[in-house]
Amino acid sequence: MSDATVAPKRQGSSWLILPGIIWMALFMVVPILMICYVSFWTQTTFNISSTPTLASWKQFFSSDTYTGALWTTVRIWLIVLATTFAIGYPTALFVGLFVKSKTLSTVLLVICVIPFWTSFLIRVLAWRPMLGKEGAINIILMKMHIISQPIEVLLFTELSVIIGMSQIYCVFMVGPIAFMLGRIDRNIIEAARDLGAGFGRIFWKIIFPLSLPGVVVGAIFVSVMVLGEFATSGALSGRKVNLLGNIIVTQVGSLKWAMASVTGVILTVVMGMVIAVFLRIVDLKQEL
Amino acid sequence: MESRVLKPILAVYVAAFILFLYGPFFVLGILSFQQGPDGGPQFPIIEWSLYWYKQIFGLTPPSRIAPLPVGEALIRSLVLAFMTMVTSTVLGVMSAQAFRRKFRGSTVVFYLIVLGMMVPGVLTGLGTSLLANNVIGITRHWYTTAFATHVAYTYPFAFLVMLAILNRFDGSVEEAAWSLGVNPWTTFRKVTFPLIFPGVLSAMLFAFTLSLDEFPRSLFAAGGTEDQTLPLAIYGTFSVEIHPNIFAFGVLTTLFSFALLSVYGVLMGLSVRRARKLAMQEDIA
Repeated sequence: MSDATVAPKRQGSSWLILPGIIWMALFMVVPILMICYVSFWTQTTFNISSTPTLASWKQFFSSDTYTGALWTTVRIWLIVLATTFAIGYPTALFVGLFVKSKTLSTVLLVICVIPFWTSFLIRVLAWRPMLGKEGAINIILMKMHIISQPIEVLLFTELSVIIGMSQIYCVFMVGPIAFMLGRIDRNIIEAARDLGAGFGRIFWKIIFPLSLPGVVVGAIFVSVMVLGEFATSGALSGRKVNLLGNIIVTQVGSLKWAMASVTGVILTVVMGMVIAVFLRIVDLKQEL
Repeated sequence: MESRVLKPILAVYVAAFILFLYGPFFVLGILSFQQGPDGGPQFPIIEWSLYWYKQIFGLTPPSRIAPLPVGEALIRSLVLAFMTMVTSTVLGVMSAQAFRRKFRGSTVVFYLIVLGMMVPGVLTGLGTSLLANNVIGITRHWYTTAFATHVAYTYPFAFLVMLAILNRFDGSVEEAAWSLGVNPWTTFRKVTFPLIFPGVLSAMLFAFTLSLDEFPRSLFAAGGTEDQTLPLAIYGTFSVEIHPNIFAFGVLTTLFSFALLSVYGVLMGLSVRRARKLAMQEDIA
């Protein structure tokens, strides 16, 4: 048939993938391998040589600053993951399941996406006049006579970093969850209702399990971005909260390439473990 | 039924959620009209003025607050975003085209490409600068190393968009062209490309905006101050005291983004309308 005659002509299209493979190999795979390699280099004050040594690795694990950054990163990641999920899920539930009209749910999703048209750094910076001692939140709370003294822990603390990151990343939770919820066959829910199941039971037995792939995709998005963060923590904590990303930036700034590389390798390992765990929970290829 | 109780509660919640998303922008927008040059980046508003907007365009007399170094940075960012957009869209269309046939190792290649959007910019940026700085020994520039990392980041997005479009693509039109003896390149140009053009537009939009706002990759992979892109210029103000000029600039860039989005919307509308027109002509014929 026509397929047989056409096939030879289509054969030629395999080379089209080559430029993409080459680009990704050169500018993503090789750089990451470089990080692993350089982490074993010998670092002197202003220089670096390729003599292999474990010095930087030992230094990382013997210093409280560096191991502290590792735990801070893990802690902030877990907290932000929890807050984005808690903040995002109800919104996704409304947009994906409760809103009957397709137009309204699209409009709501677009409203969620619009803030992304502002530069990321400006979005981070926008929290400063919001949270500061003379910031909008304190002014409003004082005007409402809820508090008499401005709350000072709002800005330049770990809390401000968590608030900022939750706002910036929660939309990445809403999107995938709302998408999965929207695909649920309404007849299943109707059937469960007809059989006398209450909303709580329907939610835990049907809605939540079916939305789980969306939760995992959202969690992967949020994790990847939070783990690689350094701008939000730098700008909103007044450099008090140091994540692995912040360590890399400062080390590169002072030309300590070996230390930056060690931190980079550790970040890569953490990231790999996190993604592996998430992909264990849900087999994405099967679900999508 | 519970949903009658739950739905209004959730609706109120979503309203609060949207307030949470937009709150900082309102505050930022309001404070951008702070009096200058003495007004600080906080409440209360001493007097409403356009001072900080004028300052960005260099229309105010010099004061102790230096204007944002955005002029050249903006041009660099736009050129870089344009280069990135063209390269990653071309790569994306080529790869997605290749993926229409199953080939050996396609799963591995798929993950290799998608990894580009998953690996944090800190890591690719660091790796690329190590490679350039310590191994090859070349100077880093926004149009070389930073460009390479930007493409490695935006190309996966372009690829996925094109993959989604080509998955729904009806190959029989191409086969018709081939069986009439049209060569593959002309077929692509005259048949395939016009049909996938809306997808190409989306891929371009993705690549352009992602590159324009890309910050960690540029931070490591671009060189010194003469290589500053727009996000780097903004980041530079983080370390020193901030002034309302950065807020005014935020408002302006947001407006610029909307302008860009409108252009995309108009182009998209035109191409959809053209497609519909063609379909109608076919029906008549």
